[in-house]
Amino acid sequence: MKNKSPNQIRPFFSIALYSLIALFRNRATVFFGFAFPLIFISVFGLLGSNGTSITIGVPDGRGSGPIYQALSRIEAVSIKKGSEKDLKEQLSQGRLAGVLVIDKNNSPSLFISQANPQQAAAVISMTSGVVDKLNLKLANVTNPVIKLDIEEVSGRKFSFIDFFLPGMIGFALLTTSITSTSFGLIFLKKTLVLKRIFATPTKGLTILLGQGASRMVMVLLQTLVIVLVGVFVFKFTLVHGLFTLTQVLILSVIGLLSFLGFGLFVAGIANDENTAAPVANLFVLPQFLVAGTFFPIDALPSWIQPVVSLLPLSFFNTAIRKITVEGLSIDHLVPQFIGLAVWAVIAYILASRTFRWE
Amino acid sequence: MKGTRTIIQVENLTKNYEDLVAVDNISFEVREGEVFGLLGPNGAGKTTTLEIIETLRKPTSGKVIVDGLDIEHDSWKVKSSIGVQLQDSGFYPDLTLVELLKMFAGLYQVEIGDPIEILKKFSLEEKNKSYWQKLSGGQRQRFSLATTLIHNPKIIFLDEPTTGLDPQARVNLWEEIRKIHAEGRTIILTTHYMQEAEELCDRVAIMDQGKIIEIGTPHDLIEELLATGFKRKREVKKATLEDVFLQLTGKHLREE
Repeated sequence: MKNKSPNQIRPFFSIALYSLIALFRNRATVFFGFAFPLIFISVFGLLGSNGTSITIGVPDGRGSGPIYQALSRIEAVSIKKGSEKDLKEQLSQGRLAGVLVIDKNNSPSLFISQANPQQAAAVISMTSGVVDKLNLKLANVTNPVIKLDIEEVSGRKFSFIDFFLPGMIGFALLTTSITSTSFGLIFLKKTLVLKRIFATPTKGLTILLGQGASRMVMVLLQTLVIVLVGVFVFKFTLVHGLFTLTQVLILSVIGLLSFLGFGLFVAGIANDENTAAPVANLFVLPQFLVAGTFFPIDALPSWIQPVVSLLPLSFFNTAIRKITVEGLSIDHLVPQFIGLAVWAVIAYILASRTFRWE
Repeated sequence: MKGTRTIIQVENLTKNYEDLVAVDNISFEVREGEVFGLLGPNGAGKTTTLEIIETLRKPTSGKVIVDGLDIEHDSWKVKSSIGVQLQDSGFYPDLTLVELLKMFAGLYQVEIGDPIEILKKFSLEEKNKSYWQKLSGGQRQRFSLATTLIHNPKIIFLDEPTTGLDPQARVNLWEEIRKIHAEGRTIILTTHYMQEAEELCDRVAIMDQGKIIEIGTPHDLIEELLATGFKRKREVKKATLEDVFLQLTGKHLREE
C-alpha cells in the first residue's frame, strides 16, 4: 500500500487535549460560555421569582377577621401594610392590586384602581370568592347547589427559571459552536499554527476532529455548570433528576454537532478576525433574540412564527424544554432532531465548499 | 562525515501560481551530512522550493526524492522523517513551552522523556512555564528549532532561521545549527544574508526569479568571480561593523 497515513489516534488526542487547555485560557470563550449565561440567569432568575403574585394593601391595625385570614392564606397573595392614605396612593400608581379596608363591623370594602386593570380584576374575583364562601358558611349552607370541582393536572411547580435556563444552555452552545470555533480556526490559520501542524504527519481531518472534541468537552462542562448552578442557587427543576440531566447533556452534544458546521462555514467565508465577528454575529444574534431564549416563540407575531420555529436554535430550545419542562426523554424529540440534522447537512455542505486551510 | 550519497534529489521542479512562475524547472541535489544553502533575494522562489520538498505544497511538475522517498507518493513517510522550521510558523499562544513540546511529541508520535531536558539544550529551561506568545524573537526561533528536532529527524529544513534577530541572537542560533549539524544531520536552509551562508553552508545554490543560476561551495564561487577579474570597490578590512558591535556588546544572549 502506497502513502498510507500513520495512525491518527495519538495526534487526535494531542490536538483535542491541548486545544481544550488553550480554550480554557481564552478569556472570551470562558466569558461567553460560562460567565455570560450565569450573569443572565442571575438577573432574570431574581426578576422572575414573584411574577404572578398579587399584592393587597391592608391598613395598619385592620389585619384581623375571617376575610383577612382567608385571603392571607392564599399563596399567590401577599399583604402589604401601611397607613390607609399611603396604600391608596400606591394603589393609584398601580403598585398595589387593591386595598382592603375592613371596618369594625367586619364589613369589608375593596378599593381598586384602573391603573392596573388585570390585577384589579384578579383581586376582585379573589376577594369576592372569599366573601361568598364566608356568606355560605354563615348561612349554614354546607351543600351548595352548584359546586365547582377543581382538579390539578400538572403535579410540578414551575417558575420563570425553568423556562429561562434551558435557553441559556442553548445560547452558550451556540456561541461555543459558532463564534469560538470560527474565531479559533481563523486565528490558527492566520498565525500559521495550522501550517506548522501540517508539516507533521497529521491529517486535516484529525485537526478538525480534535478541535471538535475539545468543543464537545467544553459544551458538556458549560451545560453541567449552568444546570448545577441553576439547581442549587435558583431552584431550577430537574424533573427526573439525574435522568433529565443526562438527557440534557446528550442533547447538548447533538446540538453541538449540528451547530459546529456553521462554525466551520463562518471560518470558511471570513478571511480574518475582523470579518469573522460580524459574520458570526449574523448567525448568533438574531437566533439569540428570537428563537425562544428570552420568551416563547408563541409570543412573537403570528406571521413570523413559522419562520422562526425553523431556525436551528429554535429546534434546540424546543427540544431542551421538552426534556426539562415536559420531562420527555430524547426519543420523543424526533421532529427536532430531523430539524437539527437538516441544518447540519446544509452547514457541513456549505462549510466543505468554502473552508480553506490557507 | 560528509558522504557523497545524495539524500535529496530535485529534478525539473516547476511550480506555477496562475500566471506566475514561482519555481522554474530547477534541478539540484543535496548530499548526506552537508549544510546546503538556498540563497536569493525575496521572491526568488526559495520558500516555495522548500515547502514543496517538505510536502506542504504540490509541485506543478517535476520530481523530488527525499531519502529514497518520492514526496508525492510517500508524503506521510517524508513528513515523519524530516524536521521542518517554517519561515513564520506559529504555535498556540496560550500554551506553555512544555505543553507545546508534549503536543508535538503527540503529533509526531514519539516519546520525549523530560521536556525540560529538551528546553535545556536550547537554553530555554527557565521559560518552561512561559506561554509562547511571551517569548522574544530569538527564543521563538530556538523553541521552533526544538520542535523541529523533537522526532530526531536526519534531514532538517530551516527557512530563513535568523531573519529579524539581533546580532547576538543570530550568532547564538548559528551555534545551535552547527551543533545540530555536528550530530550528523543534513541541513537545508534558506537565507538572504550572505555572511550567514558563508559561515554555515558547505554548498549553496543561488536562486533568482524561480531559477537556480549557480551552485557550488562558497569558496569556489568566490574564486570563480575573482578569476573574472572582479575587484571590490573598497579594500576589505579585517573586521566588519558587526564584529565591532559584537565586540562592544558581547556575544551573550539578550532576553527581551
